[in-house]
Amino acid sequence: MSAQITVEELAGLMKKAAGVTVAPQDLEQRADSGFDALGVDSLGLLGIVGELENRHGTLMPPDAERCKTPRQFLALVNTTLMAGA
Amino acid sequence: MSAPHERRAAVTGIGVVAPNGTSTDTFWKATQQGLSVLDRITREGCEHLPLKVAGEVRDFDPAAAVEERYLVQTDRFTHYAMAAADLALDDARLGQADTSEAPFSIGVVTAAGSGGGEFGQRELQQLWGKGSRFVGPYQSIAWFYAASTGQISIRRGFKGPCSVVAADEAGGLDALAHAARAVERGTDAIVAGSTEAPLAPYSMVCQLGYEELSTVEDPTRAYRPFTDAACGFVPAEGGAMLVVEAAEVARERGVDVRALIAGHAATFTGASRWAESREGLAHAIRGALDEAGCAPEEVDVVFADALGVPAADRAEALAIADALGGHGRRVPVTAPKTGTGRGYCAAPVLDTAAAVLAMEHGLIPPTPNVFDVCHDLDLVTGRARAAELRTALVLSRGLMGSNSALVLRHGAGERA
Repeated sequence: MSAQITVEELAGLMKKAAGVTVAPQDLEQRADSGFDALGVDSLGLLGIVGELENRHGTLMPPDAERCKTPRQFLALVNTTLMAGA
Repeated sequence: MSAPHERRAAVTGIGVVAPNGTSTDTFWKATQQGLSVLDRITREGCEHLPLKVAGEVRDFDPAAAVEERYLVQTDRFTHYAMAAADLALDDARLGQADTSEAPFSIGVVTAAGSGGGEFGQRELQQLWGKGSRFVGPYQSIAWFYAASTGQISIRRGFKGPCSVVAADEAGGLDALAHAARAVERGTDAIVAGSTEAPLAPYSMVCQLGYEELSTVEDPTRAYRPFTDAACGFVPAEGGAMLVVEAAEVARERGVDVRALIAGHAATFTGASRWAESREGLAHAIRGALDEAGCAPEEVDVVFADALGVPAADRAEALAIADALGGHGRRVPVTAPKTGTGRGYCAAPVLDTAAAVLAMEHGLIPPTPNVFDVCHDLDLVTGRARAAELRTALVLSRGLMGSNSALVLRHGAGERA
């Protein structure tokens, strides 16, 4: 599967896995804010990674759960998905 | 006259999320009226189980009480704990701005008997139904006994001493005593208490092995301690959190000292060994009175453990007589938990909340559903009894053998 993760999808995952509601356009603007500032803790990010892996049937690299910001996270995850295509 | 450096632990805030009320006011109103809210269990997935009657918390909307990001991380027992902690802190007039100025001066102590069974069951079903990759990471913390202490401290930014007491039902009283000791050692305030959520399929199945559990299907007959019809206890969910604060700190803040936590002691006599609990409970009562510097005759009301098992009821009545002497037959005894059920560790904390409110209102709440007492006790039944209450004794025993007693003194004369 080669689908790319969009900001919309990440916003949905943040709500589902971490209970954090951020509108996609706000998340776009705050893409360089820390996940912690957005209210997503390390277990929340781990849950987002797990959910993505299950949806896409692809393992994410260990660094995915160590990303500090949404921009870093999307870049790493989408590179991984692209490489796996 | 106590030495000037001696710090005394006071109750300055009460937060209740109980089957008979999800605010302290509604809880007290129902409690003093002697309303029974025991009812058939309606929780999904529990219909086929032989346990039919419990005290459910029905008037509680977690989403209205707690932010979503804390809800997804936590079990129902922690939802109750966070909400009750907020109510207690509001009641003590300790806002976010007050506590964030000195975060190391406030901590949290909770007691838990069963942890987050409902959350754990959901994740274990994911494990066996879909595989390990479908188990959410919050399973690592949500089921755990310590979850409520941790989440309250994180959510409110408290950095003072935090702990969890895992000591059976009586641990609810031990948690309050532990909080009082932390305050006496120098911490300004501790949010302390217990909430439980044992009404979910997995958690209920775990309780079915308790021979003390009542499986009577009529809510008015299922839990009648101290009578010939005693047939075990009915479980409950919810609980209470209290703000335990140094009395002088409360006075400086201009907040009322609602009651003083004056004495506590705990003993252990073995699981379901109810005859032996007589000696253990009597010993705990004596120890708590000693610590409080309280003569038996000074006890104005006893909040009983009231397990509802004939041998346990007999042991408790005898323990009260052993420890209080002739006064044990005259002192009013009550067990308002017969109207709400027994919320494991939360039960004695709710009793402590009721005892503080009883002393404030000069009113002993009755023991719902109980008539024709068959022990030599002055059990308050039917309706509340007016009385001047300066000292209350709260008793608790656990199914695994813990016995605890807590002495509370009225806060009047300590008014800000």
